[in-house]
Amino acid sequence: MKIVLCLPFRPYLAALLMALLVVLPAAGRTAGFEELVERLPHGSYADRAKVIDAISRTGDPRAAEVLNALLEGRLHARKDDGRIVILVDSAGGATAIDALSGENLGGVLAGSTEKIKTNNRLRGMLRTAIGALSLMSPDRETRLMAAQSVFASGDPANIEALDAALAAESDRQVATALAEARAVAILDTDAPVEEKRAAVAILRARGDAAAQAALAPHASDPAIGNEVREALSRIEQAQRVWAIAQNVWYGLSLGSVLMLAAIGLAITFGVMGVINMAHGELVMLGAYTTFAVQEAIRGAAPWLFDWSLLIAAPLAVLVAGSVGIAIERGIVRHLYGRPLETLLATWGVSLILQQAVRTIFGPNNREVGNPSWMSGAFEIGQMTVTWSRLWILIFALAVFFALLLVLRRSFFGLQMRAVTQNRPMAAEMGIDTGRIDALTFGLGAGIAGLAGVALSQIDNVSPNLGQSYIVDSFMVVVFGGAGNLWGAFAGAFGLGITNKLLEPWTGAVLGKILMLVFIILFIQKRPRGLFALRGRAAEA
Amino acid sequence: MARLIDRRMGVFLAGLFILTVALPMASSAAAGQLVPAYLVSLVGKYLCYALLAVALDLVWGFCGILSLGHGAFFALGGYAMGMYLMRQIGPRGVYGDPVLPDFMVFLNWQELPWFWLGFDRFWFAALMVMAAPGLLAFVFGWFAFRSRVSGVYLSIITQAMTYALMLAFFRNEMGFGGNNGLTDFKDILGLDLTAASTRTGLFVASAVALAGGLMIARWITASRLGRVLVAIRDAEERTRFLGYRVEHYKLFVFTVSAAMAGVAGALYVPQVGIINPGEFSPANSIEIVIWVALGGRGTLIGAALGAFLVTLAKTVLTGWLPELWLFALGGLFIMVTLWLPGGVLGAIETGLTRLRAFASMRTKEIET
Amino acid sequence: MSGSLLYLSGVTKSFDGFAAINGLSLVIMPGELRAVIGPNGAGKTTMMDIITGKTHPDRGQVFWKEKVDLSRIDEVAAARLGIGRKFQKPTVIDSLTVAENLELALKGQRGLTARLFGRSSRTMHADIMQIADRIGLAASRNDLAGTLSHGQKQWLEIGMLLAQDPDLMLVDEPAAGMTDEETMRTAELLRSIAGHRAVIVVEHDMDFVRALGCKVTVLHQGRVLAEGPLDFVSANPEVIEVYLGR
Repeated sequence: MKIVLCLPFRPYLAALLMALLVVLPAAGRTAGFEELVERLPHGSYADRAKVIDAISRTGDPRAAEVLNALLEGRLHARKDDGRIVILVDSAGGATAIDALSGENLGGVLAGSTEKIKTNNRLRGMLRTAIGALSLMSPDRETRLMAAQSVFASGDPANIEALDAALAAESDRQVATALAEARAVAILDTDAPVEEKRAAVAILRARGDAAAQAALAPHASDPAIGNEVREALSRIEQAQRVWAIAQNVWYGLSLGSVLMLAAIGLAITFGVMGVINMAHGELVMLGAYTTFAVQEAIRGAAPWLFDWSLLIAAPLAVLVAGSVGIAIERGIVRHLYGRPLETLLATWGVSLILQQAVRTIFGPNNREVGNPSWMSGAFEIGQMTVTWSRLWILIFALAVFFALLLVLRRSFFGLQMRAVTQNRPMAAEMGIDTGRIDALTFGLGAGIAGLAGVALSQIDNVSPNLGQSYIVDSFMVVVFGGAGNLWGAFAGAFGLGITNKLLEPWTGAVLGKILMLVFIILFIQKRPRGLFALRGRAAEA
Repeated sequence: MARLIDRRMGVFLAGLFILTVALPMASSAAAGQLVPAYLVSLVGKYLCYALLAVALDLVWGFCGILSLGHGAFFALGGYAMGMYLMRQIGPRGVYGDPVLPDFMVFLNWQELPWFWLGFDRFWFAALMVMAAPGLLAFVFGWFAFRSRVSGVYLSIITQAMTYALMLAFFRNEMGFGGNNGLTDFKDILGLDLTAASTRTGLFVASAVALAGGLMIARWITASRLGRVLVAIRDAEERTRFLGYRVEHYKLFVFTVSAAMAGVAGALYVPQVGIINPGEFSPANSIEIVIWVALGGRGTLIGAALGAFLVTLAKTVLTGWLPELWLFALGGLFIMVTLWLPGGVLGAIETGLTRLRAFASMRTKEIET
Repeated sequence: MSGSLLYLSGVTKSFDGFAAINGLSLVIMPGELRAVIGPNGAGKTTMMDIITGKTHPDRGQVFWKEKVDLSRIDEVAAARLGIGRKFQKPTVIDSLTVAENLELALKGQRGLTARLFGRSSRTMHADIMQIADRIGLAASRNDLAGTLSHGQKQWLEIGMLLAQDPDLMLVDEPAAGMTDEETMRTAELLRSIAGHRAVIVVEHDMDFVRALGCKVTVLHQGRVLAEGPLDFVSANPEVIEVYLGR
C-alpha cells in the first residue's frame, strides 16, 4: 500500500524496488546494507527474519543501530515516501532520523509513519544479532560491553559470532571477555567433554561471582561435574580473599579519614598537651570553606570546578589555622598546665563555632560536589576502589609525611620541639615560646581544616560534622600514644582496618562499640598508648 | 555531726524545704493555681539535674576525677525506672500484649528478655536504679583506676564509655526500645502519672533525694575519708607514698557517685515521661560539668545551684531565642574556666573573705 | 649484709635502652644517715623509685630488713612497710590545713571504712601537735598548707614523713629553694631524726651535705663511684672529674 502511495513521488525508488523484488528469492546474500534495510518493512515475518540475518552479516557499522531500533520498535517506515526512519523521543514528541544517512528529518506527526513489526521469534533473533554485531564494533568499549552481555545471556546461539569476533579481536582484555563468554555458552551445548573442561578452566580463571553463577548449574553434570565443583570451591576461596582485601581497603580508607581527623589533634594534644575539644569544629570549618569556594566557583567560573579542592585547601588551612591561633591566644594560653579546664573551655568554643556555622549556613547538609577526577570508581580484581577514597588516602599520607618533614627538618619544627621538651631553656635561648605555642596550635588547626576539605568529599557537610569525629579522633590519639605522630599513624590505620574487618561479623554499630570497648581496655593495659614515651620523659 | 550541716548547707536546705512546700501549694487548685501546674514537673526535673550535679561534684570537686560520662549513669538509672514503668503499662499498650512492651511486639519478640525479668516489681527496679550504674562504675573504675588512668585520659575514656553505650542503646536488638527509647508510661506504684497529686509526689521525692544526696556527699567529704579524697585530688602521688590505696578510694567515691546519678535519672524519667538513647550523648555529660563549674567545684550546694541556674537558662533561652542558647552555653564554658575558677560560690566566698580582711584591717588601723 | 635495713645488689634498670641504674649496690643500716650526691642523670631519682617500689629493677636484688623483696611490691606497700619519701618539689595537700596534712600522714588507719567511720583520737591530736612543734609549724597548724612559704612546705613534708613513723626516710633535695639559715636548720632536723630511723638524703648543696656530717655515696652513670666521709670522697680524682670539678 505504501509502495503505491510513494510511486508517483519517487519514480527512481520504485525502480529500485522493482529490482529488489527480482532479487528477493536469492535471499539477498549479495545485496548491500541499504537495500536490505529498505526491504525490512515488506513481506512476512519469515522474510523479515531472512533480511535481519542478512543485515547482521553485512558487517556494516550502521547495522547495530538499525537492528536495535527495530528491536525497540523505533524503526518506522514513513507513510508518504517509504523512507526508513528511526524515531527518537524529543521534547515536543518524536523526531525522525534517517536510518541510512543519519540525517535529522525533524518532528513527525503521530500516524505519519508505520512501525516495522516484530514478533517474539524475531526479537530473540535480533538480540543475538545485535550482540554479535556489537562484538565486531570498531569501538573497544562497545565490544567489551557486548562480550559481557553475551556472557550474561550464556546463549549457545552466540557461539558462532563469538568465534568470529575472537578471530578478529586484537585487544587482550576484550579477547579474554570473549573467551569467557564463549566458555559460558559452550557449557550449555553438546560440545565434547574436552572443550567443556577447557571452558570450566577459563571460568575458574575468571573467578568472580558471575563465573560462579555460570558454573553452578553444571555442578552435577556427570561428565564435568568434578571439574566444576573444584572450580567452584576455588572461586569461593578466591572470593573470600578478595572480600578480605576489599575490607582491608575500606579499613585503609577509614584509617586515612581517622588519621586526617586525628593528626592535627596529635599535635595539639600530643605535642602541646592541650586538649582541644573544638578540633572537630575546625575540621567542619575546613569542609564549609570547601563549600563556600565551590559556591563561588559555580557562580563565577564554572570551568574552574575541577580545581575547587585545590583552591579550597590553602583557604581551609588559613581559615581553620587563624581560628586556631585565635583560640590559643585568647583562651588556651591562659590555661596551660590545667588540662581539664582547657578541655572545658575548648568545648565551649566548639559549641559557639557549631552554632555560628548553623546560623550562617543553616542547619541542613550542604552539597559539596566531587570534581571529575574524584568521582567514579575502578576495579582491581574483584575489589571496587572509588577515586575519592583513593585520593583521600593519598592526601592523608602526603599530609602526614609533609608534617613529619616540617617537625623534623624545619627550623620551626626544631623550635617547636625545643619548647615542648624544655620550655624555660628554650625561652632562655631566645625562642619566643608564646609565638611558637600559637603557631603550633595554628598548625594543628590548619591540618584540621585540610581534613575538612577531604571529608567534605565523602561525608555530609553539616554543623554536626565535627562532633561525629571527635570521639574517634581522640581514640586514635589515645590509642596511638600522645606525643608521637607515628602513634597517630599506627592508631588510625590499626583501628580503621580492625574496625572494617570486624564489621562483616558484627555489623557496623556493634563493631564500633567493640572497638571502643577494646580501646578502653587497652588504655588500662598501656595507659600512655601504643607508642608511649617511657622513663623520665613521660613524667615531664 | 555539727560539721555535717554548716551554715551554707543549712540555708540551702531551708530554701529547698520552702520550695518543696510552697510550689505544689501555689500550683494547687485550692490556691487558685497561682503558678501553672507544669511548673511542678519542670522544677522537679531541675531538682534531678541538681542531684546529678552533686554526684559529679563528689568525684570531680573532691577527688579530681573529671568524668565526662556521668550522663551514662543518669541514663542507666532512668532506663531502670523506665523498664519498671513499661511493665506497669501491662495490657494497656497499643498492641495490648499483657507482658511484652509495645516495641517488643512490634519487633516480633516472643518473650521478655532475661534482663527485663523482675522489673515488674518496684523494689527490684529501685534496686537496679542504683545497682546498674553502680556496677558499671565499679567495673569501669576497677579497670581504669587500677592501671592508674587519670587526668584527661580518664575524661576521654569516660566519654568513650557513654558514647559506646549510646550506640548500643540505639540498637533495637539491645531490647531497650532502640531509637524511641521507653515512653507512653501510664502509672507508677498504681498511681496515675498524669494526676497532679502523683506529679507533686514525684516533685517532693526529687527534693528529698536531692537533700539526701547532699547529706551523703557532705558526710563522705567531711569524714576523714574526705581528706584522703582531697589529698588524691591535690597530690595523688603524695597520697600513694603515704600508704593509701588510691584506687580503692577512687573506686568507692566513683561508684557512690554513679549510684546517686542513677537515682537522679530514675526520678527524672517519670517526670518527663520518656527515656531514650540521646541521654547517653557525650554532649549531655559535658553539660553537667559546666553546672558544677559554674556553681563552684567542690562546694556541693554550688553544684546544685549551678545545675538549677544553667538548666533554667536553657529552658528560657531555648524557648525564647533558640539560636542564642549554644552561644550562651559555649560562652559560659569559656568564661567560667577563665574568670570564675571557683564558680559563683567561690567568687562570693573570696569576695566575703576580702571584705572581712579589709574590715579587720580597718578596725586594726583604728585601734592603733 | 647482716642486720641491714636496706640492701641493694647489682641493681640495673633501663629505659628504652638507656641504663638509668647500672649495677648499683648499696647498704643502709638501721638509724644511719646517708647523703647521696651525683651529677644530673646519675640515677638518683631512679634509685629512689626502685627503693620505694615505684619502678621495678630489670636485674638485681633489693631487700628490706633482709627478708622483704622490694622489687615485688608497689609504692603503697613500701610506704606501709615503713619507707617514707619526700619529693624534690615539696608536695603537700594545699587545700588541707597543716594539722590535717599531718593527720593524713599519721601512722595507722589507711583502710577505706576506717577512714569513713573513724574519728580522731586524743592521742592523735597530741602526736600532731608534737610533730608540728618539731617542724616549727605549731603556730600555723590551722593554716591551709597552700598558704605556706616554700621552706615551710619542705618542713611540713618532712613532718608528714615523721608522722608516718617510717624506718627509712628518703629525702630528695630538702634544701632546694631555702635560705642559708633554713638550710642549716633543716640539716639539724635531719640529723636529729637519724638514729631513730635511717635517712637517705639526696642533695646538690655541698654545704648542706657537709652540715649533715655523714657518710656520702657518689653516684655516677647509675653506679656507685665512691663512698665514705665527704672529705674522703671529695679527694677522689674520679669524683672531682665527674662532679665536683664542674
